[in-house]
Amino acid sequence: MDIQNTQSQMRKGVLEFCILSIIQQGEVYPSDIVEKMKVANLHILEGTLYPLLTRLKNAGLLNYRWVESISGPPRKYFVMTEEGKAAFGVLLQTWKEMATAVNQLTQEKTNTVENSNQAAS
Amino acid sequence: MNKVININFQGRILPIEELAYEMLKQYIESLRSYFANEEGRDEIINDIECRIAELCEERLKKGTVCIAVGDIDLIIASIGRPADFEAQDGFEATTSSFQQNGDQSRSSSTYTSFDTTSNRPKRLYRDEQNKVLGGVCSGIANYFGVEPLIVRILWFFLIGVNILGYLILWIAVPSTSVKVVGGVRKRLFRDIDNKIIGGVAAGLSKYFGIQVWIVRILFLIPFIRFVVNFKHMHLFQFWDAPDFPNLLDITFSPGAVFVYIVLWLVLPEAKTSADKLEMVGEKVDLNSIKNTIQNDMEGFSKRAQSWGSDLYNRNKGTNHSNEANDSNETNNEGTARTHNQDAYRSTEKRKGFLYFIGRIITLCIKGFVYFILAIVGISLLAALFGLGAAATALLPLRKFLLEDGAQTWSVIGAILLFVWVPIIGIVTAVIRKIAGFKKANIWVRSSFWALWIVGWVMLFYFGTSLGNSFSRHNVPEEKSIALANPKVDYLEITAAPKMKYYENHWFQITPFEGYYDEDTVFIRNLKIRIVASKTDSFQVQVVKLSNGKTIQNANELANKINFELTQQDSLVYLDKGIGINKIDKFRNQHIIMTIAVPLGKRFKIANKGWSQTNININGRGLRTGTIDRISSDDNWYDEWNESWDKESYSFERGVENKMTSTGLEKIKRATDEEEQDQKEDLNSDRPTQIQKELNDLKEERKKLQKEVERASKKGSNIEAEGDRAAKKVSKAASKLSDWHWVLDRFTY
Repeated sequence: MDIQNTQSQMRKGVLEFCILSIIQQGEVYPSDIVEKMKVANLHILEGTLYPLLTRLKNAGLLNYRWVESISGPPRKYFVMTEEGKAAFGVLLQTWKEMATAVNQLTQEKTNTVENSNQAAS
Repeated sequence: MNKVININFQGRILPIEELAYEMLKQYIESLRSYFANEEGRDEIINDIECRIAELCEERLKKGTVCIAVGDIDLIIASIGRPADFEAQDGFEATTSSFQQNGDQSRSSSTYTSFDTTSNRPKRLYRDEQNKVLGGVCSGIANYFGVEPLIVRILWFFLIGVNILGYLILWIAVPSTSVKVVGGVRKRLFRDIDNKIIGGVAAGLSKYFGIQVWIVRILFLIPFIRFVVNFKHMHLFQFWDAPDFPNLLDITFSPGAVFVYIVLWLVLPEAKTSADKLEMVGEKVDLNSIKNTIQNDMEGFSKRAQSWGSDLYNRNKGTNHSNEANDSNETNNEGTARTHNQDAYRSTEKRKGFLYFIGRIITLCIKGFVYFILAIVGISLLAALFGLGAAATALLPLRKFLLEDGAQTWSVIGAILLFVWVPIIGIVTAVIRKIAGFKKANIWVRSSFWALWIVGWVMLFYFGTSLGNSFSRHNVPEEKSIALANPKVDYLEITAAPKMKYYENHWFQITPFEGYYDEDTVFIRNLKIRIVASKTDSFQVQVVKLSNGKTIQNANELANKINFELTQQDSLVYLDKGIGINKIDKFRNQHIIMTIAVPLGKRFKIANKGWSQTNININGRGLRTGTIDRISSDDNWYDEWNESWDKESYSFERGVENKMTSTGLEKIKRATDEEEQDQKEDLNSDRPTQIQKELNDLKEERKKLQKEVERASKKGSNIEAEGDRAAKKVSKAASKLSDWHWVLDRFTY
């Protein structure tokens, strides 16, 4: 089994959801997204973020507006559309279900492992 | 020391080091090619550019004077390279659980402390950093931990310049570029931006990362060898069957041309910027080392295969996305271009066999034309070089021809500027072209042209001035030369016995081919014409001719010609030549000698001696049978040039001729051995004549014996005088030996 591949598949799966959840909180600048993800100990390259945002925007989930900045030209801030909010709701629902399911499964597994450890000791 | 330039980048003015700018440009180009098939590519690139500009500005605000390479490196690391996107295409959690896989960790410590000699087992790599050609030697040096120079020297002495072994190692040993710099999937392209002919050499040099001139020289070496090889110079001579170069032999130029044409045919052009990037191989940072190594291990065929399927997918993908985008019309220029390019490739495939054949034919023709052009060019250059060398070599003789002052200076100037300047110019231009340097700047080029034009002017001046020196000729005056014994029945005209000398056939310039001592050159401009004599004795008349600036000058020069005949019985010796000294110069001094041969008498012009002599048998002179007529003819000088008899062209030297009332009659062919001549003469089937000749010979022999005695007396006198000049003695001695020689001949 290719662990690396599975890992990247897992991350890829939740990536869009994570980004949407950040934008859902309010208007955001792309580098802020990177920062916030970093705080949450998730790293993303800006080179991968921009194509993703463009894709979501083209899909109609996001929109952007130009915000004047104190220094230099205006910056592109992303906001969520109504459509996006709906999509986010669906995704959130899915995530919750999945998290519960996965937690339940992994908890059981780790419990058995811990139990067997205890039994051994 | 780095040059800093200001760029307007996404609405911001950024001072940036030139190197960093190049890096940035390349990076954005790589992104562009990576996102080539992405919908909304331009928007993505634009956003990323904005971000980069912003990051740059942040750095400037922090107090950096300008954006340096290091800054760009950091920015690129934060945004990521295409290779990174490919590897992760997502984000990565740097939780501790992931860091246990040491070799895939991307923590900053690995960036800086990458060490080739760390825990890895030692492996042989070609050293891309310190390479001369392929980095084989420096790689071996690294492996054994010695100085590369030592390995190079050892390589040179032990293995010789073993190209084959080197090539094998070059191909077999992986390059350090897979570890440190190097490229992600390099591909061999023809580099049409830097092409001379087809861009093959330039493409190869890009692929191997070596200087382009090395590749060009490698292609040219066999070619130059072929041209320089004198064995093949037979190609330019009609009389020798040329041995045509073997097409299969790679060491010959047609082999190199063949390889070149094949590569030309097979390699695609680097058309798009993505192609160009692939040609050089994109520089990668340490993040993608793993991928690169993996790629390299997969081997060439697999890579080619994957590239093929990649192309197929891309092609399909683009078509697909085009269809999808038709509705919302966001199809941007970039996608269209990629689409076009892919479409071009597929149509190229479809055109198939016929197209391929057509291409082969055009390329062969092109190759052939270039081949011929190269040969013509090199020959012209060689001719120019030969002219220059000859002219330069003959410069010491200039005093015999040129007046001091302007004429001399103009000829030196003409040789330098008209001949040598273009040679230097052409050679440097060719070297520049091969080395791929920029053209020399406009000032250098225009000064070369200017010098050459000055050379033209000098040549023109020299031509007219020299022509002027030759513009007039003297008034011809005919003078009889008294022969010592004009009544002989047989006369042979031959050159004065002289010391042996060797002609140098390389630079044989006609007027100067005779003797040459320090202040006099002897030229042998002599024309002989033969007429019938009115009387029963041989007569010789000489006209001395010369050109000059004025008629007076020409007359003077003609009078100065000192030309004597010496007769020894039936032998007439011509003088050793017309002396030309440095004061009087060569002004086409020449002599026309008329020999009147009595009816029924024989004469011969010897084969050896004055090889340049023209012989004219004058029909009119013969018809009238008088020598008086010619001397009274004022226009005979012109007549010489106009009234050549047909016979004159076929006059055979070394053959005895007899004057008859109808013209000259060849008596017999001469053989190489003159003694044999005489022998055959005696045995010929005309007894009375032979008897007569024999008597003549006997008489002559007696005379000769007397003369020899006299001469030896004279000789002993001279010897007795002792202190006389050595010259005279030797002269007499040589005369003596001559007489002995003559005597021998006739006593035979």
